[in-house]
Amino acid sequence: MATPRPIRSMDPYAEQFWTYTRQKDFRLQQCSECSKFRWPPGPTCDRCLSDEFTWTPMAGRGKVLSWVTFRRGYFPEYPAPHTVIVLELDEGPLFVAYPVEMDVGDLREGMVLSLRWADGQDKFGEYNLPVFGPPAS
Amino acid sequence: MAVSFDRTRLGPLKDTVAVVGVGETDYGADYRGTGGRAVAKGEARYDSYTLASRALKRALDDAGLTKDDIDGLCTGPTLSSERACELWGMNPRWSGSGDAAQCIIQAAMAINCGLCTTVALVYGNAQRSMDTAYGGSRVTGGGITSYFYYAPWGLTSQGALYALFFQRHKLLYGTTDEQLGAIAVAFRKHACMNPNAVMQKPITIEDYLKAPYVSEPLRLFDYCLINDGGVAIIVRRADMAKDCRQPPVMVSGFGWSEENVDATQLRPRLKDFYHTAHREVAAQVYPMAGVTPKDIDVFATYDSFSVHLLASLEGFGFCKEGEGGAFVQNGRIEIGGELPCNTSGGMLSESYMQSWNHQPELVRQLRGGLGTRQVQGAEVAQYVHDVAGKCKSIIYTKGG
Repeated sequence: MATPRPIRSMDPYAEQFWTYTRQKDFRLQQCSECSKFRWPPGPTCDRCLSDEFTWTPMAGRGKVLSWVTFRRGYFPEYPAPHTVIVLELDEGPLFVAYPVEMDVGDLREGMVLSLRWADGQDKFGEYNLPVFGPPAS
Repeated sequence: MAVSFDRTRLGPLKDTVAVVGVGETDYGADYRGTGGRAVAKGEARYDSYTLASRALKRALDDAGLTKDDIDGLCTGPTLSSERACELWGMNPRWSGSGDAAQCIIQAAMAINCGLCTTVALVYGNAQRSMDTAYGGSRVTGGGITSYFYYAPWGLTSQGALYALFFQRHKLLYGTTDEQLGAIAVAFRKHACMNPNAVMQKPITIEDYLKAPYVSEPLRLFDYCLINDGGVAIIVRRADMAKDCRQPPVMVSGFGWSEENVDATQLRPRLKDFYHTAHREVAAQVYPMAGVTPKDIDVFATYDSFSVHLLASLEGFGFCKEGEGGAFVQNGRIEIGGELPCNTSGGMLSESYMQSWNHQPELVRQLRGGLGTRQVQGAEVAQYVHDVAGKCKSIIYTKGG
């Protein structure tokens, strides 16, 4: 059984994002008119208002911008301490995740991390959660 | 993105409306409840309308007006305007809603358009009695905002978003926890001079550093209170202000700019510290009021978290970007210092009224006579509102 996680915010566009994750496929929407990536998923390009888009595969690499460590438990699924990171993906969007396969104390500004997957489920079903860890050497 | 405003139209609005009355509930007494102990979360004693009604009555009394003098109403986010009007027997000719600065700007516009002359701005929040949640599983699964979109990864709460902000500030500029701590210590010192403040016990920098982290790098004292309260402000056309009981405090400048593009991604928060919005608002509010940051005698910023002050001081040009940590040291932001900030104790130590309690405090400082808490010679006061990049500012001046 997949790991229970706090509930996702769901809409028709988010649903497509999460459907890709079932195949461990990390894709973000990219505007077909002006090429801007957007995240979270949504109906319209904020730069040009086009509603034409593709789900473009991400390289799965990003640089660490910041992090926070919860010292108080907010979710039963994430007992304290729990650390969340914000990355700047190679393609441009910022992406929230959590670090895996590394010590939180080793996090550094600008360090490059790469994509991993963690299983998850909520009332909408099973999925895989994009998380990040040290690049494979 | 082009952001512009029409200075030739905005400029003449300077000093066209005045704050003539302010009222607040008994934050400290209500927090402690009977027997002196803090009221437990969820121990319902009030609802938001009870608190708002009490504040309204006090603001009207302060102004020497009655409810029949009110022809416009602005309500804070926890109140329904329709129900509030019914409750208070009002049929206004104009109504608005929003945060405190937003309501002051809207009221100034409505009055200048001739829609109304005297607007009551009213807020009430029984967030402690009602045990309002600001993070965790009770606020998930809604629409798209960074506040709960990332719940599947375990990210929740406004506090954590400001922790990410401060961590980024530390990484870029070397700002230290000790530097940040000076803010909570200063605001607590101010609260101890304010008999209506919830918190009355001074804290030292050692107390600050010893207190537990909530979302590291933010600690307990970087967080605002969760308490019940109400605030009301009466704004009136300037030429009618002289009929009121208190000396008027003029609304001399205002500005508004929002940074919402890629907000859920946290881009304006972490890549810009919201300074684009700060700069846009500064370019509007200071010229409109005819002052510069050097002229500000009393300053207040939205402070759900201490780190807001670093952002606004840097963004509005009180110091350079990255130098906020050094700026707030050595008593500079305390009463008696160069730029007294959040002199009531703010939302960290007086009352978490989501920006509303800052306005009465600035008005009182400009009226004068606050005893030890009085900023000597205060003539120009500024409020900066910055909640997740939705930035506004108001400059108040002492009426002639």
